[in-house]
Amino acid sequence: MIEFSNITLGFGNKIIFDDFNYSIESGKKILLNSPSGTGKSTLFGLMLGFLKPEKGQVIVDNLVLNAGTIKEIRNKYGYLSQDIEFGEGKVLYIIREIFNYAQNRGVQLNLNLLNNLMDYFEIESSLLENSARSLSGGEKQRLMIIILLLLNKDIYLLDEPTSALDESLKSKVKEYFLGMQKTVFVISHDKLWEKDKRVTILNWQGKVGNIYGQ
Amino acid sequence: MDSKDLGFLSLLLVIVLLTIPLMFNYLLKLNIGKKIIISVSRMCVQLFLVGIFLKYIFEFNSLWLNLAWLMFMIVISTISVINTSRLKKKIFFVPILLSVAIPVLTILFYFNKFVVRLDNIFEAKYLIAIGGMLLGNLLNGNIIGANNFINNIRKAERKYFADLMLGATKFEALLPNIRESVLASINPTLASIATVGLVSLPGMMTGQILGGASPDAAVKYQLAIMIAIFVTRILSIYFVLIMIIKIGFDDFDILKKECFLEK
Repeated sequence: MIEFSNITLGFGNKIIFDDFNYSIESGKKILLNSPSGTGKSTLFGLMLGFLKPEKGQVIVDNLVLNAGTIKEIRNKYGYLSQDIEFGEGKVLYIIREIFNYAQNRGVQLNLNLLNNLMDYFEIESSLLENSARSLSGGEKQRLMIIILLLLNKDIYLLDEPTSALDESLKSKVKEYFLGMQKTVFVISHDKLWEKDKRVTILNWQGKVGNIYGQ
Repeated sequence: MDSKDLGFLSLLLVIVLLTIPLMFNYLLKLNIGKKIIISVSRMCVQLFLVGIFLKYIFEFNSLWLNLAWLMFMIVISTISVINTSRLKKKIFFVPILLSVAIPVLTILFYFNKFVVRLDNIFEAKYLIAIGGMLLGNLLNGNIIGANNFINNIRKAERKYFADLMLGATKFEALLPNIRESVLASINPTLASIATVGLVSLPGMMTGQILGGASPDAAVKYQLAIMIAIFVTRILSIYFVLIMIIKIGFDDFDILKKECFLEK
């Protein structure tokens, strides 16, 4: 469960959230598709603890987001950013490096699942031996999605997860995430997300803090 | 000591050579005429003052005066690193001062005690000359390394966030940047270690040979000082980066913009 409680935040003269209250039950699929500049990324920033609200709290699974809980809360998220950058080196090496990060020591890299997911998302297994530099935008997007799925997070935050993909892959990504038990937030202007009955569209107007749930 | 002293005319004749860069300045419109004149004037004033000052320092050779002069050099280096890296002075003065002072003092005293085997490790000639060489080099390294680090943090902020979210600690997420910055800082020294003697006769060696020392002794000093410089440089840039990482990020591991000056 994720709760936004009395969140107020603005930049300069522009108020993005004004006493914003909303709560999301576990397992819900939330779509953010309001026009740009309305604060979708800001909402992600607040949840991830990259931005601090002027007032109010973000509460994740009954943990109030603060310095003491930030690590635990961040560890629940699988976050796909809009421009994905892999470091230098072979793709498989980079994946292994990620699994060696302190927080992930408890997670084994499941090579079977990796292969299955690569199959599903139509990535050739030889790509693991390629240099990360040679990856296309669409490959980066799908690979990062696969890595996040392998890390088996509780809450997925996806910022434009289908922007670089063709129609059939877009729909595969959508189906995978909407079919999961996990909580999923998606920022996307791709129509196929909003057409799906399983998603709840979250919209807000900064000044009055109105919420439209569909 | 049988090197020839330079007279007034000699200095005048070397200054005449500056017409060449000034000519290029005019020819290529480099727009650095004023800068050349100011820099050279500053150098003249600073060096003459230091000359007078050092004469007395060497004559008195008093422990506290020597240490005070060394401290003065350390403070100037610190301020220079802070200013060129656009760090906020109020926040970073003490941390950077420590990052400069600790490596320099440690290596300098080790050098004087165990390498040169001085009876008095505070002997002005060694303390100030060797200390100055270490400081000058470390200053260079810290400026290159710290600048590189801070520019990279800003450029790669999204990648840093993404790595944090993938489970990296702050240190793990910054490690590629730390690596690159340490290398940027020490690579010039490593390159000059590899080519010394073949390409360049470094200032210290030249000075000693002109001062009448045998090339043999000059070579040994040069070898020792280059290793000392290399070690000081890597120690200091590492301390500087650790300080920036410790102080420049908040308890959410987010860069504290208020610690840095805008470009």
